[in-house]
Amino acid sequence: MMEEKTSARQIKDLLSGLAEHGSQHLAEAETDLIQTNILLREAIAKLGASFMAIHGAIVLQQQMVEEALACAAVPADAVEALRAQSGQIGLHVNSAITGLQFQDMTNQLISRTMRRIAGLRDVLLLVGEEGDMIPVETDASHMQVLLDKITETMRAQSTVLEKELWKAVCQTHMESGDIELF
Amino acid sequence: MGKTILAVDDSGSLRQMVVFSLRAAGYQVTEAVDGQDGLDKAKEQVFDLVLTDQNMPRMDGLSLIRALRALPTYQKVPILMLTTESSDEMKAKGRAAGANGWLVKPFDPQRLTEVVRKVIG
Repeated sequence: MMEEKTSARQIKDLLSGLAEHGSQHLAEAETDLIQTNILLREAIAKLGASFMAIHGAIVLQQQMVEEALACAAVPADAVEALRAQSGQIGLHVNSAITGLQFQDMTNQLISRTMRRIAGLRDVLLLVGEEGDMIPVETDASHMQVLLDKITETMRAQSTVLEKELWKAVCQTHMESGDIELF
Repeated sequence: MGKTILAVDDSGSLRQMVVFSLRAAGYQVTEAVDGQDGLDKAKEQVFDLVLTDQNMPRMDGLSLIRALRALPTYQKVPILMLTTESSDEMKAKGRAAGANGWLVKPFDPQRLTEVVRKVIG
């Protein structure tokens, strides 16, 4: 009886510790993700604004160059070089627009991870609560029933969580995606 | 006057890039922050094309398409999905809802304008 009492106490402590420490670590992970999302949001706002300003300045500059070319006697190879450079700028602008869409995807991935963390915290909370309800004086067969119940609760919660977390972002690079017309 | 496009996306940075690309190609673009906002704006004005994201708060893209297709004024207006979603399952749902095309993010502005031009000229 003494041995059974000891193992019941140990199992209660184990489940309680798992819930408590697990929740603490998840809270830290959640805080870091919120901070990451804030930084990414601010970064994209700055990048977007700078991109617009740079593009506006380049367009203006190209107009001035075109006007200057029309008025001045500029060697043909210089005109060709300027036009080629203009084409290169266009390619970089397109590439930057594709790259600047990263935050839409990172935001979705972070939100999904946050929901998973919240769900996992609920699972741990349940494990802790179920553990607290185990009487200290429990015989081995009753203990087995209680542990099976906890395992089943955990499995069910995990399944519910997985169903709620549809993965909407599968991209692993920033190349432009497929296009299909129906 | 250029053709009109309604761009629906809950991501401000994404909308900024869509608007920039399509305005540069000569289109008049109106922004909506989610499906419900898109539906409200579509009821105020009939656009030549609707470009919508899928996962948004309040109303998602598929629900928006179904709601638009229920309006007599939007039965023939082209609707394109622009989303991170790329599964065949989602594409089939989009097609069934009434979408005319599916573009997976991130988009290349040149390819986007080519598709839009192909669809509405």
